[in-house]
Amino acid sequence: MATIVGGLGTSHVPSIGAALDKGLRDTPEWKPFFDGYLPAREWVREQRPDVAVVVFNDHFNALFLDRVPTFAVGCAAEYHPVDEGWGPRAIPPFAGAADFSWHLVDHLVENRFDPEIIQEIRVDHGLQVPMELFWGRPADAWPVKVVPIFVNVLQYPIPLPIRLYELGQALGRAIESYDGDERFVVLGTGGLSHQLQGSRAGFLNPAADRRFLVDIAENPAELASWSRQKYVETFGGEGAEVIMWLVMRGALTPEVVVRHRHYFSPASMTGAGMIVLENA
Amino acid sequence: MTEIPETPILDRAHQLRGYRMNKMAMGLSRPEGRAAFLADERAYLDRFDLTEEEITAVMSRDWRTMIGLGGNLFLILKISAVDPVRITEIGAHQVGMDHESFLRDRLGKKE
Ligand SMILES: [Fe+2]
Repeated sequence: MATIVGGLGTSHVPSIGAALDKGLRDTPEWKPFFDGYLPAREWVREQRPDVAVVVFNDHFNALFLDRVPTFAVGCAAEYHPVDEGWGPRAIPPFAGAADFSWHLVDHLVENRFDPEIIQEIRVDHGLQVPMELFWGRPADAWPVKVVPIFVNVLQYPIPLPIRLYELGQALGRAIESYDGDERFVVLGTGGLSHQLQGSRAGFLNPAADRRFLVDIAENPAELASWSRQKYVETFGGEGAEVIMWLVMRGALTPEVVVRHRHYFSPASMTGAGMIVLENA
Repeated sequence: MTEIPETPILDRAHQLRGYRMNKMAMGLSRPEGRAAFLADERAYLDRFDLTEEEITAVMSRDWRTMIGLGGNLFLILKISAVDPVRITEIGAHQVGMDHESFLRDRLGKKE
């Protein structure tokens, strides 16, 4: 049976990818941010996961407002970087794990989650940046396959935090019931605090971000019980997307061990958080 | 869900109003759209049934008004791919601060 080696949480700010593209990795502004990921990179190398389930949102790059799936699961053999306006970034395409994707959508529907099924889509910085942060940018191929789970966190109504936590629990059971010997890691991405729109733009809440990085490990049920409004108030209009970490957390056991944790603010306009969790 | 101030994402009427402007911006995801925008911005904008107010906001790079008219930041940000501007400048403009004050007072960046 397949196993879950752990859960990773990270922000997916586009400026992180842009900083790598421009060779700014070791500048005074960015070095402390990227260095914070080195222990997580080491953890990934040691754990050598075969499949990464990446929970993220498209930012109107591959999907537009004309059709907005609340949840969608990628079932493709390959995911290429999408053109976000500057041309597709020069990183290798991501190989999919379509066989598991189909197992996952079967399992979800049988457990009364009803995701959109996607067989052809490109992926934006929401997936690219976390992969680059945890695996580094490879010369020609990623050493891990991906299963993207898209969550609508932009067009209200966005799903309830509790629903994302439950989705994570279903995802965990889907992995554990998968007939294979692959090693899985689940990535929850987005956040932490930031607001890009309205006169509250530039809102940051480092105290709440640091609290979140503790509570996501220790008190996930409490975080899952918050209203969406409370997320918007606490983490900002765009920072509320941090609810996607609850999918990752739900896939793990109730008790977890925190292997690594990092916080850096601001990365561009965002409080940037990272965590590495293992089942206890 | 409209009780949090200064947060346009929670205002549905506002969001729906921005659909055409957002569709215009989505067109900039493709090289053909960007080339058309650069070649004749007004002609490009005229494809999307925008109001004069929306056209003026886009052509004058009035970010606060674009957002105010229902533009979504992730979409109108694509304008910065053809006419570069930093996202922090867009933030500062919406707040009504100069860029340096915005970086210092909102984002806590030191000089
Ligand atoms: Fe996001």
